[in-house]
Amino acid sequence: MESEDDMHDANDVDSLEDFYSGETAMASDDDGDGDYDFGDNESDGSDDITSHRQQNYTILSEVDILERQEEDILRISTVLSIPRVAATILLRHYNWDVSKVHDAWFADEEKVRQAVGLLEKPVVQFPKSRELTCGICFESYPRDKIYSTACSHPFCTSCWEGYVSTAISDGPGCLSLRCPDPSCGSAVGQDMINVLASEEDKEKYTRYLLRSYVEDNRKTKWCPAPGCDYAVDFVVGSGIYDVSCNCSYSFCWNCTEEAHRPVDCGTVAKWILKNSAESENMNWILANSKPCPKCKRPIEKNQGCMHITCTPPCKYEFCWLCLGSWSDHGERTGGFYACNRYETAKQEGVYDETEKRREMAKNSLERYTHYYERWATNQSSRQKAIADLQQMQAVHIERLSDKQCQPESQLKFITEAWLQIIECRRVLKWTYAYGYYLPEYEHAKRVFFEYLQGEAESGLERLHQCAEKELQSFLNLDGPSKDFNEFRTKLAGLTSVTRNYFENLVRALENGLADVDAHGASSRSSSSKSLGGNGKGKGGRGKGASCRSSGSSRNLEDTDHWSCEHCTFANVRAVTTCQMCNRHR
Amino acid sequence: MQASRARLFKEYKEVQREKAVDPEIQLICDDSNIFKWTALIKGPSETPYEGGVFQLALVVPEQYPLQPPQVRFLTKIFHPNVHFKTGEICLDILKTAWSPAWTLQSVCRAIIALMAHPEPDSPLNCDSGNLLRSGDIRGYQSMARMYTRLAAMPKKG
Repeated sequence: MESEDDMHDANDVDSLEDFYSGETAMASDDDGDGDYDFGDNESDGSDDITSHRQQNYTILSEVDILERQEEDILRISTVLSIPRVAATILLRHYNWDVSKVHDAWFADEEKVRQAVGLLEKPVVQFPKSRELTCGICFESYPRDKIYSTACSHPFCTSCWEGYVSTAISDGPGCLSLRCPDPSCGSAVGQDMINVLASEEDKEKYTRYLLRSYVEDNRKTKWCPAPGCDYAVDFVVGSGIYDVSCNCSYSFCWNCTEEAHRPVDCGTVAKWILKNSAESENMNWILANSKPCPKCKRPIEKNQGCMHITCTPPCKYEFCWLCLGSWSDHGERTGGFYACNRYETAKQEGVYDETEKRREMAKNSLERYTHYYERWATNQSSRQKAIADLQQMQAVHIERLSDKQCQPESQLKFITEAWLQIIECRRVLKWTYAYGYYLPEYEHAKRVFFEYLQGEAESGLERLHQCAEKELQSFLNLDGPSKDFNEFRTKLAGLTSVTRNYFENLVRALENGLADVDAHGASSRSSSSKSLGGNGKGKGGRGKGASCRSSGSSRNLEDTDHWSCEHCTFANVRAVTTCQMCNRHR
Repeated sequence: MQASRARLFKEYKEVQREKAVDPEIQLICDDSNIFKWTALIKGPSETPYEGGVFQLALVVPEQYPLQPPQVRFLTKIFHPNVHFKTGEICLDILKTAWSPAWTLQSVCRAIIALMAHPEPDSPLNCDSGNLLRSGDIRGYQSMARMYTRLAAMPKKG
């Protein structure tokens, strides 16, 4: 009894902390996911995770982007004592890198001015006459109808308008527009655009300028989610690329695919290519069909005897086994249902190569299907969980709060459980891509990996089950239930246990299952010969257990808790049996 | 439409006046359509095209001079940047580097310059480009010379 009270206390402290630290996260549905971070974890004392907690990126709205852009422009304009428009042109030329502009400018101002097209004095002198000839339409105009950039090449208003409008409809290249004179590189700035372009074009130009600030800048990228207008400013160097946008989409900053920790970008790219590529179709055809010896169309044999007749117009009759003409078959080749020629030839090794290739393709296809199915199942399961969470936040939480007479703030553990499920489904999904590319010969690693994956998966299934089914029963009740507190303890506990499992998994995969290498060699040399594959498997498993216990010993440094050896649950010091799996300490 | 016509008319008058000034280029406007021009250019000296007269067809778009004219060789020519069958020309100022301050006259001048300085690295005529890239200057020159004689010079006798 005592121990249970302790548990509640611990949980209350947790939820109180959550309440304060995560208040904004609860403010709206969208923010909930956005603020959630895999490392955002109170009950775990591990140091590795703490360092991950620091956010190394900032989500920028359009207003933020404009603000930053304006700041940079003003800074350059002030430091270099040049007009705002010139500062904009300079920054764009140097991909909005303020320090690069500084370096280049102070190293050789003249050279920079030449390259960018910021002239200090005109390259041509206007003749003294009152009229000037436009360099495009060759008509003469009074001076006040003539415009030019700093170079003073004269062009009339309507030619300028055409020139500018053509450039803007040609795309973002208009940001580095130059004087129409082919020999002149003088830059056309936004001030000219504002005078000469139509309202619509001006808007386009401003849009290009904003986009350029995000797209040409090495530190920023747009969130790749469809319809999302946020950009992400990223501090390179921390090694962790996962970014959660305010639109709730998580993606990898490095490759802009969806977030894929613990799998690296290269593996993800390979996997995505594989999923989309025709190569799998080709493998299937190769594995399950043989080409007709005459017309070369692939034929799948799904039933029947070895006597194949190709479909019209070919109609060639041949033997499925040796691919020879059927007219050569009969009693002397071993009857109609077996082919001696094939058997002999196979023994002589004639068919080996193609047969082997077919066999390999078939195996590799089965292997791929295995991983792909699991990858896809977790993907759809995650989509479902996201929908369930939204439903939960929109409807069920309120209902549950009424039925069980609990304030909504104390039901936060349910949302947390669901967020954990969503995150875990994502990690689990990618571990299948990882597994597919983990080489067959790395036996110890494979065993360890599958062990970790299995543990994580079964933990997640327990959690998912509890959050889905058991919660449902409380929703169907009419009044408050005594069991609700028990349910709270269980679900919060499962959430934390599952989080631990997945952190172990992520850590292990991110360091390339290095723990196996450290001990793997010695155990292999001693056991592999006598015990064969099986022995290696056991060795691998042993490694897994020892690694995990060393992982949990880290947790033990937290003196108020002890970490269960079996399920890693952090129990309070006072109890001797694990609150989660009921095993003794 | 009006702007391009006015501009072309200016060029037309300029061409009449400049005829004697630039003997390498002869620009002729189509009798019925000011947007269609023909040019006769002389092969630059000290090149395999020397002594030949090459005919160009220029088609001017309505957005001229904001958009470049389309130019192609009517006379067969063996040159890395000219398509051997269609006469299409690969020249930056006729594509991306166009400026409205260019004229038909200056386009022709640019094409003469291209004949003297081929760009074998972006070839439309790969055979010709390969000859130059492999360093077979003599091979390229004799081929170009032969086609100049066959197609761009008046037949003797």
